[in-house]
Amino acid sequence: MWQNSKPYLFLLPAITMIFVLFVMGLGEGISQSLGVYSSTDKLHFAYYVQLWSDPNTWSSLKFTFKIAFLSTLSSGILGLILSVVLLRTSDQTPLLFKTLQLPLLLPHFIGAYFIVLLCMQSGFLARIAYLLGFISDPSQFPILVNDHWGLGIILTYIWKETPFIAWMLYPVLKRIQNTWWDAARLSGANRFQYMREIVLPLVFPTWLTSCFIVFAFTFSAFEIPYLLGVSYPQALPVLSYELFTSGDWEKRSLALALSLSIAFITGILGFFTYILGKRIRTQKGVGW
Amino acid sequence: MFKGRKIQWLSVITLLLLVTGCSLSDPVQPELKANHSWQEITELAETTQVNMHIWGGSEAVNRYLDEWVKPRLKKTYNIDLNRVPIQDTQDILQKLRIEKQAGKKSGSVDMIWINGENFKLAKEQQLLSSPFVSRLPHYNQYYDQTAKDMIFDFGEPTEGLEAPWGKSQFVFFYDSAKVKKPPQTLAELKEWVTQNPGKFTYPAPPDFTGSAFIRQALYETTGSYEPFTAELDESALTRYTSPLWKSLNEMKPFLWRDGKTYPESIAKLDQLYANGEVWLTMGYDPAKAANQIQKGHFPKTTRSFVLKNGTLSNTHYLAIPFNASNEAGALVTINELLSPAAQMTKYDPNYWGEEMALDIQKLSSEDQKRLREIDRGPAVLPSEVLAKHRVPETSAKLVEQLEQGWKEHVAKQ
Repeated sequence: MWQNSKPYLFLLPAITMIFVLFVMGLGEGISQSLGVYSSTDKLHFAYYVQLWSDPNTWSSLKFTFKIAFLSTLSSGILGLILSVVLLRTSDQTPLLFKTLQLPLLLPHFIGAYFIVLLCMQSGFLARIAYLLGFISDPSQFPILVNDHWGLGIILTYIWKETPFIAWMLYPVLKRIQNTWWDAARLSGANRFQYMREIVLPLVFPTWLTSCFIVFAFTFSAFEIPYLLGVSYPQALPVLSYELFTSGDWEKRSLALALSLSIAFITGILGFFTYILGKRIRTQKGVGW
Repeated sequence: MFKGRKIQWLSVITLLLLVTGCSLSDPVQPELKANHSWQEITELAETTQVNMHIWGGSEAVNRYLDEWVKPRLKKTYNIDLNRVPIQDTQDILQKLRIEKQAGKKSGSVDMIWINGENFKLAKEQQLLSSPFVSRLPHYNQYYDQTAKDMIFDFGEPTEGLEAPWGKSQFVFFYDSAKVKKPPQTLAELKEWVTQNPGKFTYPAPPDFTGSAFIRQALYETTGSYEPFTAELDESALTRYTSPLWKSLNEMKPFLWRDGKTYPESIAKLDQLYANGEVWLTMGYDPAKAANQIQKGHFPKTTRSFVLKNGTLSNTHYLAIPFNASNEAGALVTINELLSPAAQMTKYDPNYWGEEMALDIQKLSSEDQKRLREIDRGPAVLPSEVLAKHRVPETSAKLVEQLEQGWKEHVAKQ
């Protein structure tokens, strides 16, 4: 009896912590977004209605979706290329290896500050351009951060997420034996065909999952769009933060409704990613 | 085997701590009564710990409290001041509200730093102790108890629920090497930006300083601060704000980055100023430029200016939560922070460099002499100049209405 329940008992402190801090916090968030602060309050969806009938929320959604999509697509493609490069040069370039681990260690907001100091109109690059005589005033330097296209945001995400995707794919690629390439060549395949027919199908499920993780993060993270975004439209997480910290406590419910909407959208996308991955895997027999 | 036992015990202990943790830490303090004399309050406060929850984002404030106030309280009253840095006073208010709902009688917060919207909220929700300022000897002796900018906090009557600790004033900063004659009114500022396109901007509200700039501009476009000390109805608000939005939008094409975006925080604007990308910056702290020059951040040629018709000023306060465990200790600490010695040290730019809340006329002639000897450097305007150009803040409600309005009518355009 004691032997059987022992694992559960050992897990209890950890589970209690997760339950108290995460599950209860989430529950509290959901109930406050529905206007329930105490047991006497009636549940209603007015905050969600108010939120999504505001055109500003929709323009924020569009903006957030755009930066998340472009960041994911760019880092997905670059990450894939990088992982192949890593695989083929891993023995000769230990320095490249170490360098690519660096972005994983640094928090996102440090990356954001790094991009700001580098790319702002009076930043490091602009100063070099000034010294070399290309520009005579900061305002002549191209606008790379706090721009309407979200270029600075996307740049930061690419800097941070490309190595992430590369490192996710690297161990999968590593399992592909060199002899397979010889076998494929013997059967008359060229490099391109080998990539398309053998390598890509093998890494695709991992690639899809990594891309989803990147999308979910870039869609719901606050710090980078806050530091590198524009005053209007704001990314959804920035909007949520502003609502939450405004003096009015009524707006906290709106902020929570928005945060939960973000989580809901990411959840739906996660579900579709899962279905898509599963279908491809079973129909075409790709993956390991 | 032995190791397994140990883990079992650890799990059990952790669980026990989780369950009982909250109730173990409540200290028992003798209760403070309304008829206690100051002498008795001081005796009650001796050898206690006072938990001061205060915004921890300013190095100058933290240093003043840790290096000057803390040792002094220890030496004079044997009080341990425990400074708890917080991110946002609202978090504390939220905590107090939950404790109030839950009926928690002895809280962990003895003192808070508060004003404006937060004070209004705390007062409405009854999160503060009963009125206490008239119990403080230093308040009674050195403070002007009728001054409008003290007894009204962003239009809200303070009613003795909070004690004035210091004053801030909105000022602008410019680089005297680049700008010869800084503008004195909003109209002059508009003219200046058309002549120097891209060299001015302001932080986007709801950044605290950006929001203050909008209120400052509202006073300028209206020509007076008087209509805004009380709350306004919808139509009056539109009447006053439409010239404001018009004026800000006229300025917009000449702002930094053609007004297409604004710095998200005052820190970013200061960075732009330090890099020479813009030539003016601002702050709700007259000594900011001096501090930034000392740190080597701002150019040494930075100077301050105020507008001809005055700039916003507000008082910030100390208050005691409704369920403070150590009310006596908080009272003694607040009284000490209001003392001439503490206020004058706070005024010294080597510590904080902030305007005093006390009435200079009520100081002894020795103290007045000492005060004149404190050199705040050329980057800080003299106290008389600041005092002459002081206008009160708007009502707390208007602050938020303007933040919303700016987003809708200026940022989105």
